[in-house]
Amino acid sequence: MTDFIKNPVVPLPDRMPDPVVAKDDLFFTEDEKKQIATWVSRYPTADGAVMRVLWLAQEKFGFLPPEAVQLVADTLDMPYAKVYGVATFYTQYFKEKKGTYVFDVCTCFSCQMCGGYDMLHYLEDKLSIHAGDTTEDGLFTVQEAECLGACGSAPMLQVTNGPYVHNLTREKIDALIDALREGNMPQFESVTLPQDENELGGNRRTDVARTTTYTTPPVSETVK
Amino acid sequence: MASKAGDWRNYERVLLPPVKDLHRLDVFENHGGYDALRQALTTEKWNPSSVTEEVKKSGLRGRGGAGFPTGLKWTFMPPANPDIPRFICCNADESEPGTFKDRQVMEYNPHRIFEGMILAGYAMTIKTAYLYVRGEYADWITHMERELEKAYAKGYVGKNIMGSDFSMDIVIHKGAGAYICGEESSLMNSLEGKRAYPRIKPPFPAQKGIWNYPTTINNVETFAHVPLILSRGADWFSSIGAPSSPGPVLYGISGHVNRPGVYEYPSGMLISDLIDHVAGGMRGGKKLKAVVPGGSSVPVLRADMIDGVAMDPDSLREAGSMLGTAGMLVMDEDTDMVSFLRRITRFYHHESCGQCTPCREGTGWLENIVTRIDEGEGNMKDLDLLIDLCSQMEGRTVCALADAAAWPVRHTITRFREEFEAKCRPSLVATHVESAAV
Repeated sequence: MTDFIKNPVVPLPDRMPDPVVAKDDLFFTEDEKKQIATWVSRYPTADGAVMRVLWLAQEKFGFLPPEAVQLVADTLDMPYAKVYGVATFYTQYFKEKKGTYVFDVCTCFSCQMCGGYDMLHYLEDKLSIHAGDTTEDGLFTVQEAECLGACGSAPMLQVTNGPYVHNLTREKIDALIDALREGNMPQFESVTLPQDENELGGNRRTDVARTTTYTTPPVSETVK
Repeated sequence: MASKAGDWRNYERVLLPPVKDLHRLDVFENHGGYDALRQALTTEKWNPSSVTEEVKKSGLRGRGGAGFPTGLKWTFMPPANPDIPRFICCNADESEPGTFKDRQVMEYNPHRIFEGMILAGYAMTIKTAYLYVRGEYADWITHMERELEKAYAKGYVGKNIMGSDFSMDIVIHKGAGAYICGEESSLMNSLEGKRAYPRIKPPFPAQKGIWNYPTTINNVETFAHVPLILSRGADWFSSIGAPSSPGPVLYGISGHVNRPGVYEYPSGMLISDLIDHVAGGMRGGKKLKAVVPGGSSVPVLRADMIDGVAMDPDSLREAGSMLGTAGMLVMDEDTDMVSFLRRITRFYHHESCGQCTPCREGTGWLENIVTRIDEGEGNMKDLDLLIDLCSQMEGRTVCALADAAAWPVRHTITRFREEFEAKCRPSLVATHVESAAV
């Protein structure tokens, strides 16, 4: 047992790391507090709003260091351990600092079949990092993601828990990275249903800037 | 067996009808939107129990994977007591690999979901409904919040809906990325602000659900069917498709086909029709190798097993698989089934919540052993070890994730054993033992 503690299989997290967020920045503004109160009012207990408040904290601080988790716990009058438990359970809450743009490249089985790994490896090569790492300039993080629910438009990726980029190709990745370097997030892209191509001319929504159709992905190189 | 979908080529879509901008409230209203709700709330014909009866009569079965009869589920709720709050919850945590149908309903017909939820709330006398959407669907959450606000402003949701004495709120809850939240009891824990560990059943949600109050949980597509059942009648609904599981179905087809995507057709479509005629055939004219008919956890079918198999629970059970979520993955002859299985085991290892030992440890072992085989380091006996491991996981955990992880392993190995053996190192034991028996 003592041997296990000395040489753990998995490195144990530092329980008291130096705070990342300065004390003066560690608060919710009045507007944010109002918003939190609205969320809390929708549930029988304040605990129900914890996921929304963690989202808010993550958007504000970029990720969820212990002091941000403590702030959420204090705001909702919950024990720290409980909030920390929630924050560590879900993959979309970042427990460590990530790049400005996080690419969640889906490689789950539909995307795998359609070349998701080709796209992941292309991104890794292009940015010279491995999946899970961040570029030196702190701009991009590449991660392998589990099914993101866009199997028909595989392969695909998600940018920083936000917009989806469907039907990925190498050209699309190049364009995406160029755009992000200039600070342009990809816009929401509506993927039309294949049945609409016959009945609606392939465009179901007239209120979005970009629509796309499902395309047949090219044959994958890595997975045959 | 033949197709149970009838004249599917001339099928008119009802869940995602060909109407431009149907997600907008004004367009939705012009196409009969909220009419079923108005009828239910304002006419003599309908009261809570007759709405439940109609849904029961329609034969609607849940579209989230388990296929439980919806009307029956609603009757499990205890009698309404004004002192005890009760909830419904719409499960939009669509995260089964290969499933992407609910997102289309959320984007193109969100008001139909709201309408279905309010009707369900009316049938079960409920004041608050939660719509649990997975966190990855951030864009669709914003989209639905915008539309929900419009529905509130027009009085379709909120206090005294359409001048009646029925009031109900809909709350959109944003998840944060956990497959396990699709399991109803873990979804309830997640809503309560806890780690999303599944709960032991019984008690079922209808007895002790969110915050231990009576709760009913249905899938997005299930709720979206309810307004249609009321406005067009249970008989209309039960006449569509396969009699044992009637109604329109959203088939999500992905993988090596020419036109992947979500298609709305009657239930009971032949798998071969879906691949060849609906999804435009195999990519590059390749031959079909395998089909996963309903999301990653259902057993994979070999190409020679799909002759005449229809997409309904009975037909698929006979064929040796399940309907699941009707999210179909199609694989062509070039697919490496070992690598396919490796990715599935990786998924379940990542998504196991860690509450029960057989699943937390078992999914990791599955991944390690399959990876070993895929890397060419495996032994023949690993295949039996994997099957044995599956037997030790199935049915021994709080929720069905362990079973969902074990089924694909068991069935992919038994159905494609030659591919696994080809990647394993040859057996060290001489196998040319002549038997005197027989």
